[in-house]
Amino acid sequence: MNEIKNITDQASSELFRSYNDAIVIFYKELCPHCKNMEKALMKFGAKSPETELYCVDSEVKGDLMAELGFERVPTLIFIRNGEVANIYSGLMNPRELKALHASL
Amino acid sequence: MSNEYDVIILGGGVAGMTAAVYTARANLDVLLLDENACGGLVNWTKEVENMPSYASIGGMELMERMQKQVESLGVTVEEAVCIDSMDLSGAVKRIEADDETYTAKAVIVATGRKPVPLPVAGDCEQVHYCAICDGAPYIGKRVLIVGGGNSGFDEAIALLDLGVSELTLVEKMDRFFAAQSTQDALAARENASTRHSTEVLSLNGNGKLESVTLRNMETGEESELQCDGVFVFMGQQPGTDAFAKQLRLDEHGYIITDDVMATSLPGVFAAGDVRPKKYRQITTAMADGTIAALEAERFIHTTR
Repeated sequence: MNEIKNITDQASSELFRSYNDAIVIFYKELCPHCKNMEKALMKFGAKSPETELYCVDSEVKGDLMAELGFERVPTLIFIRNGEVANIYSGLMNPRELKALHASL
Repeated sequence: MSNEYDVIILGGGVAGMTAAVYTARANLDVLLLDENACGGLVNWTKEVENMPSYASIGGMELMERMQKQVESLGVTVEEAVCIDSMDLSGAVKRIEADDETYTAKAVIVATGRKPVPLPVAGDCEQVHYCAICDGAPYIGKRVLIVGGGNSGFDEAIALLDLGVSELTLVEKMDRFFAAQSTQDALAARENASTRHSTEVLSLNGNGKLESVTLRNMETGEESELQCDGVFVFMGQQPGTDAFAKQLRLDEHGYIITDDVMATSLPGVFAAGDVRPKKYRQITTAMADGTIAALEAERFIHTTR
């Protein structure tokens, strides 16, 4: 199982430069949509072990959200070769997530 | 891994989880499928205070406890499942999901309800269905709440507590339906106002919401209200599109059952908010799930 690693206080967009193929989910603890998106991400991750999965608590890292230019959760940041390749706010099922990831 | 089960439960809310507990304890092989995370609408409830056992418990925490119990009983739980098709008509029920074929002798449908979307053209990024999720960006800003039931009033108070500067709540019907104590609590807030007999005609703005146009349904008068975000709580509708061609539904799309949760197809039962009922509570969903599970067990053991 490809687990979702928690990025905490040292998170910044600079950190993304070290990621080759990653998805970062910004969530809130009590957000039901985030819970749904997290399950979809875990399901995607189980079949895509090459993609690293990370999560960021948006209430802890609101400054990083502002830096990246979004304010809603859940939001997924797709990283390819150290660069932000796409930012997606809202829900997707694992199939849609796989298709979007493959299109980048 | 075998995909043959005694019972497949569709939906991991209260009704589905209760059915899972009972069927598992009847020593049946049970699979529970949910298109999202388990928990259903209770996940959207900040505090649950009307279910015996806890004076107060967070909705998500309650459902996580239920899921833990269900999994400890040996039920296979699959979340974030994409269901492609199903055939519930034969003695063997078939469900195609995530490139797998699952079969069972009985199926319990507990897919619940989903929020009714705002029926206004031009949906924009500033329309929301969850104050907990999306409220924070509206601190110091103006919001409109659509829906005068308990959810609308509860979420309005939550947004005011969060720090929105000005809040207007509108309801299409000629009165509000929330508990009087909740209505009183909102009426006591200086920066909140309410209007019944009022509908949203349009969302206005250039890329970002700037105002909404409202219409008084009694006088026909239209007015423009400056606002930065809209939160919609107009009730729910059943998630039964996938069953429309197989099961008898009522005029509102709910699955018709008898008093033991049997549907129009043998071996297919429905429980919880997905069936027509007067009181939609955690406790009544539990009752439905219990009955559906016991009947599914009886069906399996008496049908050879």
